[in-house]
Order: sequence, then C-alpha cells, then structure tokens
Amino acid sequence: MMRAIRGAFARVAGTFAGAGAEADARAELEAHVEMAAAEFVRRGMDPLEARRRALLEAGGITQAVEAVHDQRGLPWLESVAADVRYAVRSLRHSPGFAAVVMLTLALGIGANTAIFSVVRGVLLKPLPHRDGHRLVYLRHSMDGPGGENLAFSVPETRDIRNGAPSFSALAEHSEWTVTYQSPEGAVRIPAGLVTGNFFDVMGLSAIRGRLTTAEHDGAGAAPVMVLTHEGWQRRFGGDTTVVGRQVSIDGRAATIIGILQPAPFFPSRAEALLNMAISPHHVSAFMNEGRTHRMTEIIARLAPDATLQQARNEVAAVSARVQGQFKEAYDPGSHHRFAVIPFREALGERARMTLWLLMGAAAFVLVISAANVANLTLMRGVRREHELVVRAALGAGVGRLRRLLLVENLLLALGGAAIGVAVAVGGVPLLTTFAGRFSPRANEIRLDGMVLAFTVGLSIAVALLLSLLATLPKEGGFASWILAGAHRLSSGLGKARLQRALVVVQVAVSVVLLAGAGLLTRTMLRLSDVETGLRSEEILTVNVPLLTASDLLYNPAADGSAKTRYELMRREARALPGVTEVGVGSPMPLRASDVRFEVKAEFKSLAPGEAVPRAEFRTAGPEFFRAAGIPLLQGREFGVADQRGAPRVVVVNQRLADKLFPGEEPVGKRIAWTGEILKFTPISTDWRTIVGVIGNTQDGGLDAAGGLVVYQPFAQELAMGGGLVIRADSNVAALTAAATRIVRRIAPTAPITSIQTIRQFKDASVSPRRLNAALVSSFGLLAVLIAAVGIAGVLAFSVSARTTEIGIRMSLGAGSGRVQRMILREGGVLVAAGLAIGLAGAAVSTRVIRDLLFGVTPGDPVTLAGVTVAMGVVGLVACWIPARRASRIDPAITMRS
Amino acid sequence: MAERLDVQQGTLALMILRTLDVLGPLHGYGIARRIEETSKNRLALNYGTLYPALLKLEQEGFIEAEWGESENKRRAKFYELTPAGRRQLARETRDWQKTADLIAAFLAPKKEA
Repeated sequence: MMRAIRGAFARVAGTFAGAGAEADARAELEAHVEMAAAEFVRRGMDPLEARRRALLEAGGITQAVEAVHDQRGLPWLESVAADVRYAVRSLRHSPGFAAVVMLTLALGIGANTAIFSVVRGVLLKPLPHRDGHRLVYLRHSMDGPGGENLAFSVPETRDIRNGAPSFSALAEHSEWTVTYQSPEGAVRIPAGLVTGNFFDVMGLSAIRGRLTTAEHDGAGAAPVMVLTHEGWQRRFGGDTTVVGRQVSIDGRAATIIGILQPAPFFPSRAEALLNMAISPHHVSAFMNEGRTHRMTEIIARLAPDATLQQARNEVAAVSARVQGQFKEAYDPGSHHRFAVIPFREALGERARMTLWLLMGAAAFVLVISAANVANLTLMRGVRREHELVVRAALGAGVGRLRRLLLVENLLLALGGAAIGVAVAVGGVPLLTTFAGRFSPRANEIRLDGMVLAFTVGLSIAVALLLSLLATLPKEGGFASWILAGAHRLSSGLGKARLQRALVVVQVAVSVVLLAGAGLLTRTMLRLSDVETGLRSEEILTVNVPLLTASDLLYNPAADGSAKTRYELMRREARALPGVTEVGVGSPMPLRASDVRFEVKAEFKSLAPGEAVPRAEFRTAGPEFFRAAGIPLLQGREFGVADQRGAPRVVVVNQRLADKLFPGEEPVGKRIAWTGEILKFTPISTDWRTIVGVIGNTQDGGLDAAGGLVVYQPFAQELAMGGGLVIRADSNVAALTAAATRIVRRIAPTAPITSIQTIRQFKDASVSPRRLNAALVSSFGLLAVLIAAVGIAGVLAFSVSARTTEIGIRMSLGAGSGRVQRMILREGGVLVAAGLAIGLAGAAVSTRVIRDLLFGVTPGDPVTLAGVTVAMGVVGLVACWIPARRASRIDPAITMRS
Repeated sequence: MAERLDVQQGTLALMILRTLDVLGPLHGYGIARRIEETSKNRLALNYGTLYPALLKLEQEGFIEAEWGESENKRRAKFYELTPAGRRQLARETRDWQKTADLIAAFLAPKKEA
C-alpha cells in the first residue's frame, strides 16, 4: 500500500519534472551504449560497427527515452495538462466568446445554485432529530374556515395512543404563552407545554443539563423548563450557568434543567418548553377529560417495524370509531379527519410549493442559457473546423479531439459556475430572509459542500452536453474528413437543424416562464385590488393583550383592571392630534380570530348533513366600528349601555346574517354559541340579540375565504385580548411612536404583539406574492432576453453563411424587401413553433402552481394572450436585426469575393 | 544463437534487486550484462524495458541512483539497494519460491496408475 502511494506521488511529481530529467535519461542511455560499444571494441570489433551493434541490441535510444519518460510521469495527466494549456490559450484568443458564454452560464448556474441552497436547507437537509424520518405529525382538520388544524384533545390523544400500535411513542405539545419574571421585569415568552417524553420522541438532546422524562408528567410534578437554543441565546445571552437556576414562570417557581440543541421550531416557535405542571389548566379535568378541548398537537415516532401506511390505517380506524362513539364531539357535516404526516413534510409544508416553483424557474433559465451557449459553441465550431481538420491531419485521434473540446467546455462551464457561485454567495442572506417567511429551517441555508457539489455536477453536465454537439467524424473516418476540407463540412444540414431546434426550445421555455410570471403578477395585482371592507386606510392598529390565558382562567379580578387600562389608553390616544376616533376590541380589524365556535339561531334547525356553522368570536367597544371604518348596514352599533349585566347583544357581519337568516330581517333575532367546547370556557351559551349588521371584512389575509363573524360588546366579555384601533385624518403612520408611548406608560410589561397601519397590513399580506411574482418575473425577463439574443445570433449566423446565396438572389432581381421578408420568415417560423410548443407547455405546467394563484385560473386566456404578444414582438425584433443586415448586402461586393 | 526469451512481467524487478544485492552499486549496463550472463544469454533485455523498470523501483524507494564514474573512467549512473529494497527482495524471493514450488507441483510428471 505504502509502496503504491509512494510510487503514485513520485509519478505525479515526475509529470512536472521538466527537461532536466529528460536530458538525464538520455545521458544515461548514451553511457550505456558507449559501454556496450567499448565491450564490442574490446572483443576486436571496428569502433563504428561496434556502436551500430550496441544500438541494435538494445533497441533505439529515442524509444527507450520515451519509455522511461512514460514511467517517470503519468502520461494521461500530462496530456490533460497539455489540453488545459491549449484550451486556455484558445479561449484567450476569443475573449468575447469566452466572456459571453461564461456570463450566460453564470446566470443559469448561479440562479440554480442559490435556489438549490434554499431547497437543500429547507427541504432536503437531514433533520437534526435522531432518526427524523421515523417522526410523524398528526393533524386533526375539518371543513370550513379555521378548520385546517384543530389540534387534538387529551382524550383523542389517548385514543390514538391506545389504538395505533404502529407508534412506539406519542408526545404531546401545547402552545402556550408564559410570563417570565426577568430581572428587567415581566416578559411574555412563547413556550410549549410538553409531556415528559417529548424530547425522547423528537430525538433531540440537550447541549447542557438534561431534558424532561416521564417523571415530570402529572399534576404533582415540580415545574421544570428546558430552554430552546434560541430562547437561551435571547433571554440569557447564552449563559451556561442558567442550568439549575430557579426562575419565576407565571408566578410559580420553575427550574431550568437544560438547554436544547439547535433545532427547527415545531410545532410552533418556542423559547422554552415546560412540563404540563406549570399550568393548572393543563393538569385539570377540563383539559384531560374534555373531548372537544383541543389544544394539543401530537408528534409520534413510528415503531421500528411499522410502516407509515400501517400507522395511517390505524389512525383512520381510531378516527372512525370515536366519531361513531362520540357524536356530540364531531359534527358529521364538517367531516373531521385525522391525518398522519411525515415530520419532514409537515416542516416544509408551506415552503415546498414556492421553492419547487422557483427551482423550476431557475432550471428553465439554465436550459435557455445552456441552449444559447450551445448555439454559440456550434457557430464557433464551424469556424474552428479548419483548425480541427489540421489537427486531425497531424495525427490527433478522435478521442483526443473530443477530450480537447470537453476540456474547453469544462473550463467555460466551471468559469461560469465560479461567477455564479460568487453571485449566489451574495444572495444567500437575502434568500434566508425570504425563506424565513415560510420555513422554520431558513437558518440552515448555506452554500455547503453538497450545494457546491450540485453546482459542479451541473457545470460538468452542461460541459458534457456541449461537447456532444461538436461534429467529429467516426473513428476511422478521418481520411474523408481531411479530404473534404473545412468548407464542405460547415454547411451540414444536421447542424443547422440543431441550431433551429435550440432556438425553438428557447422560445418555448421562455413562454412557459413568462406565463408563470404573468399569472403570479396578475395574482398579486388581483390581491392588491381586493376590497378589505374597511372604508379607510388611515387606521393604526395596536394589538396589546393585557391578560394571559392563565389570568383569564384563574384571576377574575384581573379582567376589570385590564378593561380600565384599555379605556385609559383609548382616551389618551383619542387626545392625540389628528386622531378622529379610537376604538377598543379584539382581534384587530383584518386579523383572523383564532377563536371560533359553533353558532345556532333561535327557532332554526339544520338540514340533515349540513355542517354546523362556526363563527369567529370577536369583541368591540362602542367606537370600534367607526374607528375601523367598518360600515354599519342595519340596526345600531354597540353603546356605552351594553355593559356587563345588561341584556346580551351582538353585532354580526353580513355573511352571518345571510347564512342564518336568509331573506329575513336579522336585527332583533337571537343567536347563541353552542358546542361541547364551551363547557371549558368562560363564554356563556345564553341567547344573544342581534342589534346590528356590519359589512363583511377581509379578515385573515386578502386571499382568505370569508367567514362568519359575531361581535360582542368588549365590556360584556372577558378581555381575551385587546388593542386600539386609531383613526386619523391623514398620515396615521406618524402616530406610531406616540401610540407606543401611551401603551408603554399605562401597561409597561404588556407585549405589543403588533403595531401596524391598515396599509402596512395589506402590504404584508400581498408581499409574499409580490416576491414570488418578482422572482419568477425576473427569471422570465432573463429568459426572454437570452432567447432574443439566441434568435438574433442564429439568424445572423445563417445570413453570414448565406451571403453568397443572397448576393446571387439580389443580382437576379430580388429586392431588399424580399430578402428581408425571406429572413424574417425563416426566423418567424422558429418563433411561431416555439410559441406553439410553449403555450401548450404553459397550459399544462401552470396547473402545478394553481395553489399559488389568486383570482386567475392556470390557463388564464388574458395572461396567455399577453405572453404570446410579448414573446412574438420580442422574437420579431430579434429576427428583424439580422434581416435588415441581409437586405443591405451589396450583390456586387459579395459576387466579387 | 539459442532462442531468446523476453523477460517475464514482474520477474525483472526481482532480477534487478537480486543483482544489486549480489554485486553492490552498479550502473544500468552492468545490470543488463549481469542478467544476460546469469541467464546464459537466454534473456533479451533492451533499454526500453530495463530503464523504465529501474525508474519504477527508484520511484517506489527500493533503489537509489547517483551519478558516478565507471571502472573505465566513464560517467555513469549507479544504482544501489536501499534498506526498503533489501526487505522487498526478501519478500519477493519468498513469494517467488512459493509460486515456483506450486507450479512445480502442478507440472510434476504424471504418476503411473
């Protein structure tokens, strides 16, 4: 082994030994011949004859020097080195060609590298969780708004645990906000309450201290806290001595027992994970016995020999059984479903669609740029045929010529890749921010070895493809090639056809990209045109929940003081200059409410099989609707008289009125909240009289399907949240600082969870779509630009190859207009073919992005027509330039040359 | 002249090492002569075979080369066995012996039934 390595090193070194070693070998061989000749002379031979004999016996010196040379170095490495030297020299002779090719490839390869780094970081990278591929996330969903992820109740968790032996373990996680008494004051931190086995199931370990186990389960356990890596950094500055420290959480003592390794947040962002014992609610009978009390998310680990399908079957069986057994907990009209989703899929759910879209767009750009480079290479190949013929005539074999071309193309592709990677390096921080919107794994994005390997692989693939395009004779066909000379070869029909095919491909792919870009842009425009339902945009919303869930459940006195503080804030904000109205309520206008309950109307029953209607639970003070600019359609707004103890009244949105009282006068009718879940809430199931109907608003995003909404007077319900809605004459954004100061003074420790104007909110709602549209559009523009250059280039080349022919035509009487038309027709056919193929492709491929669209259908005729016109115009302009050149050919000059 | 054999692949290295072991530092010509003499002129050895083999042994670290002066005052490159070369010789001799015994056993005259 050592010997082989040593030998190999010596040979690599020997390859670059240079001329000294050569002379040395020659001298040694000369000495050998002389010694042999001397021997013959000693035996009595004539000196000249002796030398001849010596040479004859030993074989020629030159051959021997060659043989020694081959042993000294690595012949193949040496010839590759020669190829590289040659390729560099030849590219240096055509710097324009090299620069254009490298830049074109840099665009394609750079775009792919950048997007792939995101795809890898967010979707493909192995999870930090031990055996992450055995993890699954369970989701409980049903039809209707807010039904996408209902979470599970503890009894449901128990049913699944008992009914699905395919899971080796099930962990429970309940999203919760806790108040941490830090040395600087009370802060709310996003947390998760988990069962003791959570970390074991997740396959995560502690970087300091320890994690929870089964001993931490149950009401009697002492509260303990595990910090997530982010929580540790943010709240404790990465101080390792926090382990073992006692801290105050929700007014109780909890011990920090460990720090978790860095891992993507799931199911929700959390700075700390605690055992259930910290929350009296989570260990109460409400929580543990209420079948509809759904605030638990489930992560499970598949048993070693179980398959995902088995688990799905078992969970489906459990779902069917409990739905049959507990009819009151599962409205049959709403179709409750339990799904088992591989963990990695659940993590990447929101990112997947967008990322594959971008990856596809980037791949298209690469196809187009590679096609362009292929065309350039083909044209250059024609000019080089003479050179290749000469090299062949001098004894270069087909293999050697191919290798030479491959080395050249590799240099170009890798050069392009290097520029592309440099661009991608600059883009990674940008992409990380972009990906952070929809993936908890965005911070794992980097240009690592795998990404670079992908880039290099891509470059090599491009180089190989380009090399295959070159026309070289079959082995043994050299004689005819050399005989034919360069001129006969260059007019090869096959090559021209290939060039045309490449142009058609470029146009077609550009059309597909443009169609995607067009649809996404129209989506964005449609979205910005959506009516919010508010009459003004000069509204500032400040969401500031004063109470935590624990306060609401266990501290009734807190409610009154919170309401006093809200009223104080409202009055102070009202006094700010320019403010015309301030209302209190929850949640803020255009925000979706996570609180939805089943609702029923008096004297009405549901049709059989009809889903029980569910409505958003919202609260509003007397000035809320006016401040938010929500129009009152019928009846009255809330007044100061609608107090606790006064008759229960509600205001509903138009959609609810239409749904529950179609064709009737809704004002004066009565509705009530209903459903099992209300048993666990402080919300009354009493009848409430509708006193007003307001217009529908676009809550939960401009693309959200509208839901039913019930407002109750802010004063009549617990302050389950709250904030200020501030309306001004103009420039309400300027009030942000003043509003913040007011809130800070009255409620110093309460978190301001958002402070936004309605315009900012709308913007934020549109911006992910805008980003999609902008990215795909820039890819589309790039594609069209490259394709246009490609068309013009190929036609120009065709014109220059046909100069003589055109000269003859013109001298025979063809006018310049006719020549121009001829060339235009030649290009027009290519563009038309590309358009036809592209449109067909777009009709099919845009269906893939259906879920990203809003307000347009994948085959949107307006978009496709626009794309056709745009591409057609660009294509014709690209054809027109060479056509004009053709029409200016002077027959006299061409005929003479 | 008797029929001359081409030197067999793999055996030349052993012959060179053995020659240097017996005769000490020697130039290429001397090695060639010695191998031819030992084989009673049955082996044909041209430079195209000998010198690459010498270079290979040198690259592998079994021999060392140095320019010196031959017995009749000519400049010549002398080769000398290194300690690694000596070990390699012992190893290869042993292997070769085993192979030879094995082949001999195979080629032994058929026993009378």
